This record gives sequence, structure tokens and C-alpha cells, in this order.
Amino acid sequence: MVRLITHNLLACHAKGCTTNNFPLKLTDVKLALREADFNPDFLRGFLPRVEWDALIQASREIGDTSLPVERPEMLDDDLLRQLHHVLLEIHIDEGSMTCPNCGHVYPISNGIPNMLLAEHEIW
Amino acid sequence: MPSEVTATAVDDNPEAYEQRHVHAVYDHIASHFSSTRYKPWPLVSEFLLSIPAGWVGLDSGTGNGKYLGLPTDHPGKFWTIGLDRSQGLLNLARTAGGSDKIREVVRGDVLDNGWRRGAFDFAISIATIHHLATVERRVAGVKRLLESVSPRHGRILIYVWAIEQDEHSKRIIPVSTRERICVDAEEQCPSGQDVFVPWVLSSDNARPKVPRGEQAQNVPPDAIRRYYHMFSGEELRVLVQSAAKELGLKVGPPSSNEADANSSEGVEIVVSGWERSNYYIELRRWQI
Repeated sequence: MVRLITHNLLACHAKGCTTNNFPLKLTDVKLALREADFNPDFLRGFLPRVEWDALIQASREIGDTSLPVERPEMLDDDLLRQLHHVLLEIHIDEGSMTCPNCGHVYPISNGIPNMLLAEHEIW
Repeated sequence: MPSEVTATAVDDNPEAYEQRHVHAVYDHIASHFSSTRYKPWPLVSEFLLSIPAGWVGLDSGTGNGKYLGLPTDHPGKFWTIGLDRSQGLLNLARTAGGSDKIREVVRGDVLDNGWRRGAFDFAISIATIHHLATVERRVAGVKRLLESVSPRHGRILIYVWAIEQDEHSKRIIPVSTRERICVDAEEQCPSGQDVFVPWVLSSDNARPKVPRGEQAQNVPPDAIRRYYHMFSGEELRVLVQSAAKELGLKVGPPSSNEADANSSEGVEIVVSGWERSNYYIELRRWQI
């Protein structure tokens, strides 16, 4: 299942597409909510690693507005719970991810994003 | 049941060759393969035990995703994202073989770069690089791993199949192949050996269609031939050195004595060795 934790790591890799190639824009999404093990140590450690602007953009694209626009300095309990929910409990089962630079579309099907390119699209 | 390994040669279209003898094979054998691959290898588990909380990792060539759920005693301490080309294996990896835990998996090629550069804190490549059919493609495979992790602290573990098989190996290397290996060994076997390893769908778990005595002759008709490049002694280290060089990375521990700009980024070989018929190497990226 693709969640926003994974989406935050993906970038377009079509031939010649090296700048402004992320975050991939999420559209036509079918979502599912599933509880996940809550691990505050992970969230605190992951906070400086996440591309916050990309996470905010993606979460709004799939209809969640719970996170603050600015990256928080500290995570209080409420924020930890919200971040946990947005990163790890919202599953994108179906949808499309479009490169903001070249427009390449990567489909998400049965919860699995397909990053394979056709032969002529590869480096 | 022992399976016989035969020598092979890669034709001039390595991509199509891998499609035929790696990707198509894994899609075909996915569920049976998965049922035989449930136990994490000890050194991989040990490596993962040393990963700090909050890190995110890539399992490049995740197969049935057996490493995605670790550590089991601290669920969610760090997250490992599985990458594989086989849809059949990904479907299994996603649910960790039918459990209610959902893993993160992405369909893609280990030679692609579908990630933010340096997005991961660590990467593991377990029994994957040996399915790439030319040395150039294997170097590219290692380069992708080096690029996928943080240039400041990224850690990498690579496992590949070794020519030197231990006595417990279920695989029988035919004498003809052994001789070729020995000849090469005089030159430290720099190029390893390309082989087919049959996958016998009707053995072990499934019911044999014919008596075992008949099946044991040569390669059974329903065996599927998987391509492997068996690595020789120093080959994995040489591969890492080539990949690092192409990326302009110094190989060795970080050294503050060298002030020249070229040595400001590098990769350290933390440990390397042979274990249970495999070569492994652990790497750490550094930046001064």
C-alpha cells in the first residue's frame, strides 16, 4: 500500500527529467484508512528527514488538512498523532502520480505505485 | 532436493535476457518461492538491529518482503520500503504473505532512480545484484544504491551469491562448471561465473508428478531456469570500487588529513566477507 511516507521519497525519473521532478501530484485517489502501530520515536526521528512542503501538498491533494503548513519545531502529543495518521494510516489504494516537470503519470494500482518506465523513457 | 547448476552465457541483449531468465521466472514462481523464503538471514537481521529509530530504508529487490517487517519487537521503529520488478512477489510482499500488516512496496527496476536523491538513510540489496546480467549493469546497480542513501550517513548492505558454496548448500555445482571455476580461480576469478539455477516447482511443497527417481535426472521438465552471476572472491569489493569511482567517491574511511576537494565525499567499506555461500559487504557513506 502506498502511504505518504513513501510518496515523500518518490521522484520522477523519466528521461531528462532531473529538476522540479517531485513531489508527484496525486489525483483520482481511492483511499483506505488502516490503523498502524504508533511509534513516537520513529516520528521524532523522521521529522527532520521528511520534505515537509511535499507532505503538506500531498496531504491536501488527498483531502487531509490536519498538518500545519510550516514544519513544526517540536512535536507535541496532538501533532505526533496527526503526523502518524497522515504518514502511516492513510493508504492510497488507487490513483495517479503526475510529475510536476514533465507530466509523466505513474499509476497506483492495488496499493502499489508503478515506477517502471517504457524503454524509450529510460535514461 | 538438490538442484543442478549449469553454466550459461549472457547474449548481447542483457535486458531481454534478464526479462526472460529473471523477471518472468520470479513472476511465475512467486508464491512457491515465497513459501520457501520466510526466514531472514542472520547478518541482515543484525544489520537492521543497528538501525536507529526514525530512519527510512530501501530494500532494493525485496522479493517477498521478508525484511520489511523488521524489527518485529519494535514495530515501526524505522520503515523499510520494498522495491521489486515482479508484480507477483510485490503482491505477496505487500501483505507479508497474507498477514493483516501492510508493507510499503513500490514496483520498479533496481537500475532506475525513482527516488529523491539521497532520500534514504539505509539500503539493503539482498540476493539481487547477482541477477543483473553484465558487469556494467551490476556496477550501475551498486551506483543506484550509493545514490539512494544520504551522502552524510547512508548505510548499505549488499549480499550476492558466491561461487564458493558451503557443504550445506542444496545446490550441486556440476563438475564441468567447477573446472571452469578452478581455471578462473588461478587469476582470482575476476569475472565470476554466469549460471542457470533451476527452480523445481514440483519438489518440496508441491506434490511430485513423477517418482523422485525419474525427476532427479538432469533438469526436470518443469524446472525453470533462473539466471545468476556467481561472484568470485574479490569481485563484490571491486564492483563497489568501480561504482564509487564512477560517482567520484573516495573508497575508504573518512580522512581529515586530505584537504583536497576530491576527498570530501566517500564510502567506507565497514566489513565484507563470505557467509553461507554468499558474499556480503557493508558500506557507509561520509562527507567532510
